[in-house]
Amino acid sequence: MAIGRVHNWKKLIAQILLLGVPTAVLAYYVIWNANNFFNILENDWLKQGTYFAAGLVTALVFYSYRFRFITTTVFLLLVYYAWYKILANITVGEFDAFFVSVKFMIFAILFSVGWLTGYGFSRSRYYTVFWSALLLCVEIIIVSKTTDIKAATLISAFAPVLAYGFYIIFTAELIRNMSDDEQRFGWFITKRMLGFGIVVAVLLLAVLSMFQNDFKAVEKEWANQQPDYNKDKGGESMTKKNKDGSVSNKDQTRLTSSLNKGKRLVFVSKLDNYFSDGQTPNPLYFTAYYYTKFDTLTQAFEIDSLMPDNDLFRPNPSKIPLYFAKTDSSVIKNTHASLERKVVTAEVYKVLLSPDEYIAPSTAFFCQPIPVANEYKDQYKSAYRAKMWVSDLNSAYFIYNPAGNKTLEQFQESRFDELRSITNFSSVQKRFLDYYTFMPSNDDYDSLRQLALKITANAKTPVDKMIAIRDYFLSKDEFGQPLFKYSDNPGIPGLPSASKLNYFLFDNRKGYCAYFAGATLFMLRALGIPSRVAAGFLTIDRSTKNPGWYWFYEDQAHAWVQVFFPGYGWIDFDTTVPDVNTQQAPQPDETPPLNMQDAYFVADGTVTSIDTVTKRMKVDVSKVLFHDKDYETTKIENLEMDVSIATVSKDTGSVPLSVIKKGMHVTAASFAEALKDIKANDDDSMLSVLKKLPAPVPVDQVKIIDPDAEAKQKKAQEEAAKQPIDWIKVLLVALIVVASTALIVFLTPWLIWQYYNAKARNSRDIKSKAFSSHRAVMYYLNQIGYVRTNTGPADYARNIDALFRTNFGSFSMVYQKLKYSSQQLTDHEKVVVLEFYKPFIKLMRRNVSYKIRFSKFLNIYTTLNWFTQNKNA
Amino acid sequence: MEQQIQLEEALKNIQKLVDNIEKVIRGKRTQIQFILTALLAKGHILMEDNPGTGKTVMAKTLAQSISAREDHHGVNFKRIQFTPDLLPMDLIGSHIFDDVKKEFIFKKGPLFCNVLLADEINRASPKVQSALLECMAENQITMGDITYQLENLFFAIATQNPIEMEGTYPLPAAQLDRFFIKIIFGYVDEETELDIYKDYLGIQNNLQHIEQVLSMEEILFLQRETEKVFVHEEIIKAVRNIVWATRKTPDIILGASTRSGITFLKCLKAFALVNGRSFVTEDDLKQITSAVLDHRLIYRNKEAKQKALAAILDSELGRLSKMKIGE
Repeated sequence: MAIGRVHNWKKLIAQILLLGVPTAVLAYYVIWNANNFFNILENDWLKQGTYFAAGLVTALVFYSYRFRFITTTVFLLLVYYAWYKILANITVGEFDAFFVSVKFMIFAILFSVGWLTGYGFSRSRYYTVFWSALLLCVEIIIVSKTTDIKAATLISAFAPVLAYGFYIIFTAELIRNMSDDEQRFGWFITKRMLGFGIVVAVLLLAVLSMFQNDFKAVEKEWANQQPDYNKDKGGESMTKKNKDGSVSNKDQTRLTSSLNKGKRLVFVSKLDNYFSDGQTPNPLYFTAYYYTKFDTLTQAFEIDSLMPDNDLFRPNPSKIPLYFAKTDSSVIKNTHASLERKVVTAEVYKVLLSPDEYIAPSTAFFCQPIPVANEYKDQYKSAYRAKMWVSDLNSAYFIYNPAGNKTLEQFQESRFDELRSITNFSSVQKRFLDYYTFMPSNDDYDSLRQLALKITANAKTPVDKMIAIRDYFLSKDEFGQPLFKYSDNPGIPGLPSASKLNYFLFDNRKGYCAYFAGATLFMLRALGIPSRVAAGFLTIDRSTKNPGWYWFYEDQAHAWVQVFFPGYGWIDFDTTVPDVNTQQAPQPDETPPLNMQDAYFVADGTVTSIDTVTKRMKVDVSKVLFHDKDYETTKIENLEMDVSIATVSKDTGSVPLSVIKKGMHVTAASFAEALKDIKANDDDSMLSVLKKLPAPVPVDQVKIIDPDAEAKQKKAQEEAAKQPIDWIKVLLVALIVVASTALIVFLTPWLIWQYYNAKARNSRDIKSKAFSSHRAVMYYLNQIGYVRTNTGPADYARNIDALFRTNFGSFSMVYQKLKYSSQQLTDHEKVVVLEFYKPFIKLMRRNVSYKIRFSKFLNIYTTLNWFTQNKNA
Repeated sequence: MEQQIQLEEALKNIQKLVDNIEKVIRGKRTQIQFILTALLAKGHILMEDNPGTGKTVMAKTLAQSISAREDHHGVNFKRIQFTPDLLPMDLIGSHIFDDVKKEFIFKKGPLFCNVLLADEINRASPKVQSALLECMAENQITMGDITYQLENLFFAIATQNPIEMEGTYPLPAAQLDRFFIKIIFGYVDEETELDIYKDYLGIQNNLQHIEQVLSMEEILFLQRETEKVFVHEEIIKAVRNIVWATRKTPDIILGASTRSGITFLKCLKAFALVNGRSFVTEDDLKQITSAVLDHRLIYRNKEAKQKALAAILDSELGRLSKMKIGE
């Protein structure tokens, strides 16, 4: 039995080469993209793409014969079913069966999509439009699921799909219109394949160069090497590099196969926290963020600006004038802690740390920028003083491991004893408790829960459970080896999209701080203990010469867990096991910055004039600090200052005096002895204080507060706040892109008409007038649906005249004469040419309804025909 | 250098002729134009259709409109009915023995005339058909050693029945090529047919009393004027393109020859003049292409016969239509 053909073999080859190959290429790309975005670890895009391509080509060949869709689909389903049955019978073992069935499902889905696409290309005219839209939707979904949206991501996601969309719609139409006996068929195909190849090559090169570093990093990750992500943007480490080269903690931490660590000094701090003897320094972990959410899809910890009872104080020190303090009293209230609490002061001297960044031990509520002493200006860019509401139960020494120190162990025991008084969390608000004990529900977390219950079977109180978890991480296996090891390169599970935490807990048992913190967090939450992950810096006391001073290097960026105890507040708790392979080499003990003397007088305001010769500066003062008392007024006072010995600084470091310009916001501080003895009375106002001062006031420090930095900071904060719903923006952007391209497509016929119309109206010379009128009229008629085919111009014009009672016929005759004869036009003929266009268009508008004209002018196919109708002759 | 064309006078003559023919032939304006085109282009015309559509009447009317009744300095009109047993001698003439002079003298056949109506040309055997070849192409007849020159005006009107009919010999390609134009005569439309029935007596009467309206000189004048018609370079290019396209299209096995192209140009000029213009336009191209080229081409199949040439022509017209006005 012979089956008739729908398309001949030439058309089939054209379809396979011009539609099939590009579609397969794009499918490979999209699948690769999807694999990448979803961090599917066994990146099977090559195989999956081949499934799709196979389905596509099979369907194209198949449907070039006269087969019906429904019957063939039923047949295909039957084949699937039989295949599935066979596979189910020959695979042994639950795990194998699961694996094979998942793989088979992926195969079946991709093959079917390919099959459907092949059918669409073969039989349906509008499938290409639908298919392009579908691909665009897929890309939008993929992009919306990613947390790290950059311009490059958007471009790499949308550009190929959009370009492909245009290409496929156009080409499908071209092939549909291809005549059966297209002459020079080979050339027809080659020409277009060549064009397609060039476009693909350009796109691929662009993509490759854009993601070069990522590719290399991925390669290394797979080779289990240390990827050098940090050399470029978008890598993984516990800190992030800002544009100006400074360092901040990241507001989200992803679980990856390896962690990058630097060895550079980030900041130095003096922390006035001592044990009860008043001499032994008591270091505290420095907190930047609290991660209270975990994105199971990207397996990343994230901050949540909506966390209940937010006790995170995040001022921007570069925004606050020197010596002026910013406090947030709600922090202490939100801490819900009154027991064993005291206020501690810390000074932070920034080296690499971003000027905008504020890092302090947890529950900080006070920030006061202070100047850096002149001799250290090269080393430290800026500094601030922080105060926090510190629990006596916290210490960098014993939140984790007292390391054999008897006094510390004793101290820790007593701390645990005190915390044992908390047996439940009934006194905690339900909303608070629910939030901090939330965990995702699926099999992975169930097994985590089982483990937590097993470990803590003998522990009664929350703190005992906590200790049990810590002990579990420290326990040894049957060979006496530590069960868990610290590793910066823990690797990744072999199963696609498997939970990395489970892989860490049950299989690999190697990881860095984020793994330990994450695992601990979910075990605690599984046990109903409110907890969160804190990110910041680990504090190591290395200084014997300078007690209370701590140096923080990049590799000290850290994550740990905080547990909430009613009455005591959030207590730090670190379960990361020590790194046995790389013992901490002692860092050089550097000279700390000098203690800053307190200024007698500080004024904050706007510069009204500056004289760099006489070194006098006039400032409109709005705020004044005099002997640690601050005065503020609504009435602005102009004050003259002597800046001859003053050092000028910005957040980025020292600057010359000439940088100060009129209108700048500055803070001026004075340590002058002359001011030491002038005292203010209790009833003094700012005005009276200023009157007491000598004129001009000698000033030692001037700090410029950069308005740009403020604006930038504000913007960054706004952006950060929007982060969780950023995919809406993505959708919007995508919609705008789609809408504007659609608009361009739909507007093209109209725009071309506008051009022709303008040309026709504005031509003066008789020849160009005739030509442009003719062209405009022909285009207009073509667009409206009266295409000139198989008629001569005279007949065509006569038909149009009969329809619309226009004067096209006589114009056409004159036009032909003008075009093909050597004779001059008579005056009458000239009039015909000049008076033809406007009445014609008027008549057309009157005779063809607006609705028809509007809809016809949206049709770009007609326009394409207009431009292509004589090309393929 | 373009010569001044005497358009007014030429048109007057053409109009006279057309009016005269239309006294007898109704509803055949296009066919009349084609015939005049062939006449003015110094070519010959082949008309094809079923018997009874008016081919012969048309030919006769035209011939009589320009031939001399008495001695009115008209053209010499001959008619030959082609039959299967017709011999070349019957056309050309033969040597007969003159008793008085005692020698063979040449008795001229009907081919020695100005207007020849070759009726049902495809009924004759190929031998006879080929006898027409020389005189149609070169205006001369060779008999033995002697070549006889025909008169300045030699216009052959041939009619043929469709090839599929019984008792026909298809004309060879070379023969067909000699005919500038081949038209399908076709039936008249319903309205006109009714008119003809109502007035058939009047028509018959007119046919018997067709008068000569143009003299030989006037015909030759028209032919001279035709050569002066202006053909724009782009039109010549279009002719070239069409001829080339017929050779390249796979649908056409045998494309148009260069001679066809020249014929094509001549016909375009004549057709423009017949339509009252002194220059050739796209319309002329559109109207005449099929009539001039169709019978010269050999198509691959029936579908191609219907579409191929029209497609070539239309794309060329599209190109011309969008072309800018040259200087």
